[in-house]
Amino acid sequence: MSVRTPQERFIVPIGPQHPALKEPGHFEFTVDGEVVTGASVRLGYAHRGIEKATEGRNWIQNLYLLERVCGICSHIHASAYALGVESLAGVTVPPRAQAIRQLVAELERIHSHLLWLGVAAHESGFETLFMYTWRDRERVMDLLEAISGNRVNYSANVLGGVKFDISAEQADAILAGLEFLEERTDHYLEVIRTDALFVRRTSGIGVMTRRQAEVLGAVGPTARASGVPRDIRVEAPYMAYRDFPVVIVMDTAGDLKARVEVRIRELFECYRMIRVMLRDLPPGELSVRMPRRVPAGETVSRVEAPRGELFYFIKGNGTDQPERIKVRTPSICNMDSVIKLAVGHQLADMPMILAGIDPCFSCNDRSLVVRRSQSAAELWSWEALRLHGIEAYR
Amino acid sequence: MSGLQSLTAFLFFPGGLFLLAAGLIYEWVDRKLVAQLQNRIGPRWFQPFADMLKLFAKEEVVPDGSHHGLFVWLPVAGLAGVLAAALYVPMAGFPVSYHFAGDLIVTAYLLSLPTLCIGLAGSNTRDRFSLIGATRTLTQLFSYEVPFLLSLLGPALVAGSWEISQIADYAGGRWLVLTQPIGFVLALIGLMGKLELPPFDAPEAETEVVAGALTEYSGRGLALFHLAKVVALVVGLTLVAAFYLGGVQGILVFILKTILLLGVVAGLQALLARLRIDQTVGLWWRYGVILALLQWLVIIGWEVVTA
Repeated sequence: MSVRTPQERFIVPIGPQHPALKEPGHFEFTVDGEVVTGASVRLGYAHRGIEKATEGRNWIQNLYLLERVCGICSHIHASAYALGVESLAGVTVPPRAQAIRQLVAELERIHSHLLWLGVAAHESGFETLFMYTWRDRERVMDLLEAISGNRVNYSANVLGGVKFDISAEQADAILAGLEFLEERTDHYLEVIRTDALFVRRTSGIGVMTRRQAEVLGAVGPTARASGVPRDIRVEAPYMAYRDFPVVIVMDTAGDLKARVEVRIRELFECYRMIRVMLRDLPPGELSVRMPRRVPAGETVSRVEAPRGELFYFIKGNGTDQPERIKVRTPSICNMDSVIKLAVGHQLADMPMILAGIDPCFSCNDRSLVVRRSQSAAELWSWEALRLHGIEAYR
Repeated sequence: MSGLQSLTAFLFFPGGLFLLAAGLIYEWVDRKLVAQLQNRIGPRWFQPFADMLKLFAKEEVVPDGSHHGLFVWLPVAGLAGVLAAALYVPMAGFPVSYHFAGDLIVTAYLLSLPTLCIGLAGSNTRDRFSLIGATRTLTQLFSYEVPFLLSLLGPALVAGSWEISQIADYAGGRWLVLTQPIGFVLALIGLMGKLELPPFDAPEAETEVVAGALTEYSGRGLALFHLAKVVALVVGLTLVAAFYLGGVQGILVFILKTILLLGVVAGLQALLARLRIDQTVGLWWRYGVILALLQWLVIIGWEVVTA
């Protein structure tokens, strides 16, 4: 047996198939014993070419396609798209429809955060918390099913409004459900604050300072846990957030514990807002007529998904199909922080640090070719880029 | 002991078939209890047996780059170790099959044999998860083994013998858990560390190192290692019950006391999050060993005073 020289590196591969990841992504952690000395990430195993696919479908078909970008925050994707297309078409959506969109978005946030809490518990080996949170999450899934008929892709949006109304009985059911969920969330907040072993696994681990979070471009709860006041719902209110505002939930610690706490405290904010909304739901129509063709133009639509800022760039060319749709999901913005924070921590902390940003791999994946040509910089025209895109997917 | 009796002891009771069956039944109880505590339904009673059947029927793949002989025989050695350990322990309330002065030490080492074999088996393959898992397994072995042994020696001290049968006779009806509570807790938690149960499951933490040292094992080898672990569970629980809970007189008392202990173990498994390997080592050496030595000092002081 030969002695290992310091130059030789011991790399632990995590993914694309690994029990820690339910979706494919590839991480390489260089370790020295148990301590991680380097990290790299490779994404792209679940690239589906959705952006390209939107260019071959009309505006209405794309609503259904884009709702399927993410399996957890499906509604917010469709909403971001609908908001953008509506602004491009110059259509004003009735206030009741906007409020119902927001209501579903907040219910979705509850289900997403509870799901994440279970995943984080599982990554840290706290199976009981995992089982309990997912059991309680069923309650909000039931509520979503009761109002929309679906558990995952609620299909609440149409271009120009929403599909369904919230009846008085449904509102009562939601209020009763919130009662239960709030009690459970109270309990979980106490657990993650006081459980000695869980605190030992999260407190002081993966600390990201406010400066780092700003430089790395972190978004959503990951950024808010580092004290960055970044929340699209407050910064640039959309839907009905002007009438039903939220309070930014922040923490200054920046460690894993702060990320867990911020998400749990955000749940209380969701419960509070949904109660207010159900009380003061504006009356009126559910949808307005939407033209089949959307005028040429560009628009940007930003919304706050459960994981952070979701960004849609939509370009129309006057036909019934979009010219280009660009999606930037929050996971890709936060992925950089994982790589930066990993170094210096133990291998055992890696799944937790990775789960701390609530990654969603298939929304991450982009096809991007970087060509480092020796010649002078090339300038591609829009037409050339478009042709290249068509060629690349043929 | 005559040849026939020895053969019976090796193959049927207390070694051999009885232990294998008891181990699998105890595994089911453990899994069912943890599942119930976690608000799940849990497996049906024959699930552990079905798992074993399936594993034994599977092809065993020996990975390239590993020593073939070691890969095949390490699981056998591990299982043989714990089966042999049972011969010195009053299983199910029956008198021990063999005994000699100092068999407590031998039994403790035989019980550690599966862990050593798992560590070696992990180092034997070139898989990176196996190597890290093996390192963690052996690190953990060095952390819990000393306090676990110290906690078993507490009753030996008061009984004035290092022979399991004599200690069990002395502890029968004496409930040493009341006079040596620290030793009892350490013995039970040490057993959890030995079996790599949560929160001491860092060596096989699936979200980090897949299956740890046994990542490359499939089929027969995996089944034998698994059997070694469940047999160690039964033998370990019997030892703790015999030493600390007033002995095991008869089969009913044995079942009652060991299942009670298993309930405590299952509760702890459900209650606690996984410890990192450095935290495990720190816990055992900073608190476990110190507390065990403290217990010892009290016992020795008491012996000196009353003598």
